[in-house]
Amino acid sequence: MEIWRLPISASQRGKLISAGYTSLSSLSSISSSDLARELNVSESEAMNILKVASHSRGSETSNASCSIVEGAQSAWDMLHDEESLMHITTSSADLDNILGGGIHCKEVTEIGGVPGIGKTQLGIQIAVNVQIPNDFGGLGGNSIYIDTEGSFMVERAFQIAEACIEDMSEYNRFLRKDFQECKIKMQPQDILENIFYFRICSYTEQIALINYLDKFLSEHKDVKVIVVDSVTFHFRQDFDDMALRTRVLSGMALKLMNLAKRFSLAVVLLNQVTTKHTEASFQLALALV
Amino acid sequence: MTPQSLLQLTSQKCTTGCPILDRLLYGGIPCDSITEIVAESGSGKTQICLQLSLHAQLPVSHGGLAASSLYLHTEFPFPFRRLHQLCLSFRSSNAHHFPVNDNPCDRIFVQSVHSADHLLEIMSKTDPFIENSKNQVPARLIVIDSIAALFRSDFDNTPVELKRRSSLFFKISSKLKALAKRFNLAVLVTNQVVDLVGPNEGINGLRIGNLGCLHTSGRRVCPALGLAWANCVNSRLFLSRNEEVIREENEKPNGQSCDFVKKKMRKLYVVFAPHLPESSCEFEITREGLFGVER
Repeated sequence: MEIWRLPISASQRGKLISAGYTSLSSLSSISSSDLARELNVSESEAMNILKVASHSRGSETSNASCSIVEGAQSAWDMLHDEESLMHITTSSADLDNILGGGIHCKEVTEIGGVPGIGKTQLGIQIAVNVQIPNDFGGLGGNSIYIDTEGSFMVERAFQIAEACIEDMSEYNRFLRKDFQECKIKMQPQDILENIFYFRICSYTEQIALINYLDKFLSEHKDVKVIVVDSVTFHFRQDFDDMALRTRVLSGMALKLMNLAKRFSLAVVLLNQVTTKHTEASFQLALALV
Repeated sequence: MTPQSLLQLTSQKCTTGCPILDRLLYGGIPCDSITEIVAESGSGKTQICLQLSLHAQLPVSHGGLAASSLYLHTEFPFPFRRLHQLCLSFRSSNAHHFPVNDNPCDRIFVQSVHSADHLLEIMSKTDPFIENSKNQVPARLIVIDSIAALFRSDFDNTPVELKRRSSLFFKISSKLKALAKRFNLAVLVTNQVVDLVGPNEGINGLRIGNLGCLHTSGRRVCPALGLAWANCVNSRLFLSRNEEVIREENEKPNGQSCDFVKKKMRKLYVVFAPHLPESSCEFEITREGLFGVER
C-alpha cells in the first residue's frame, strides 16, 4: 500500500514524499519525534501519521521479508544465502584462498593466461572436483565442459579422475575410523560419465549451444558447473561487423550469468591473453575485454 | 545437440617411428589436434614431417593411422630425394605391411603453398579431397611445413597489418581444427624461431609453457609468429641443436689420453601439451631417419 492511499491531508502527503517516504515499509521503523523533525510538523501530527500507517499496514497481509519490488531480497537474506553456498575446490589451497573458498556457485569466474600455463588443466580439474560427494565436502554434481579449441584430452581427464579418487581414499583413511563402510565406490569411469562434453567448431555453434543450455539444464538438474574452454577463440577471427561481435559477446555473457543465477551453478570461462599496445609499452591483457 | 560420451572418445595417435620418441609423446602425434614443432633451420623439422607422413600409412595395430597424408610445403624445394631415401628404409623395415610393387610415396600428396590466402584457398578444397580419398586410402594427416614462411614477409610492421595477420592466424587455425574434428585428422605444423635480443624482462621474458627460455646453437630464441599463433596450437614441441664439447677417453700407444671432441647434441622438448608432462629426450638423425637416443 502506498503513501498516497493513506487517509492523510494532501500537505502531509506532500511532505512525506518530498522527505523520501514513498512506501509504508519505510515508515515502519521510525519514531514519531524523528518523523516530526524530518517533515517539519508537530510531534502529535507525526504520531498520527504513523498510527494511520501502521493501521493500514496491519489490515493487509504483508510479506515476511517486506520486499519492495517483486523478486527482490534483503541484503541479510543474500548474505545468508551466499554463506550457505558451497564452493568448488580447485585442489590448490592457495588458489582456493584467493578465490574465497573455491569457485563460487551463482557466479561467473573468468580465468585467463598465456598458452601452456594450465588453463585447460584447471578446467578439467574443476569439472572433476565438482563431482566430489557431499560427504567429502564437495558438491556431488555433474559438469558441462564446452571445448572450443580441441585441447581436452580424455586420457588426461582419466588421470585427473584417478588422482581425485586416490585423494578421497586417503582422506577417508585419515579422518574416518570406520573406513570399511565408507569405501569409495566411485570409479574414474563414473567421473568421466558425469562430464557432459560438447565440442564446438565455430562461433555460431557456440551461440547455439549457449542458447540450448537452458533446456539442457532444466532436464539435467544435477549440473553444478559449466566450463567453457576458451570462450573467445572463435571470436578472434575477422568479423565483418565489429558491432555485431560486441553485441554477440555481451549477449552470451549475460546469458551465462542468468544461467548461473537461475540454476545455482558456477560458470568458469577460460580466456586467452593478448598483447596490448599502451603508450610505448606492451602489456598482457585478457582477450576481447 | 547431444554431449559426446567421453568413454567412447579415444584419441588416436600416429607413431613417429621411434619407440623412444613415442614414449615421450605418450603414443605419438594425437589426432583431432594441432601439434606444432618449433626449431631453427637444420634441426630436423622436415625430417620428422617426412617420417610421420610415411609412418601414418602403417596399420592402426602398429601405431599408424592406415592413412595417406597431405603435405603442404612453403619452402622450396620439396626434399624429394630425402623422402625417397627414407621411403626405402621404411619399406625394408616394414616389408610385411606393403606388397612388393607398392610405393609408400604414392600416398603422400604434396602441394606447394605461396601465401596465406593461397593456404585458405587450399583448405577450402581440402574438404572434398579428404572425402574422396575415403574410397582408396583415407587421408588422415596434414603437414604444413612451415607455417612461418607464409607470414614473415607479407606483412608490414604496422598495427593494422599485424592485426590482420593475427586474425588470419585464428581463421586458419579454426579451419584446421574444424577439419581435424570432422575427419579425425592429425595436423602437424612447423614453425621457425626468432632471436631474442635484449634483457629478459617484460614481453621479452614472457614464458610460454614449460621452458623459461629456449636455447639453440647457443642463442636464446623464441618461436616465430608471437603470442597470437601460440594461442592457436594445441601442443608445441621444440627441437634444439647444440654443439657440445665432450671429453673422450682414448686408448693411445703412449698411454691413456683424452681428447676434446665436438659433438652435436639434439634434444626434443615438450613446451606445452594438454596431455604431456614436462619432458625432453635426446635424438639423432641418421640415414634411416630421426630416432631417439636412450642415454
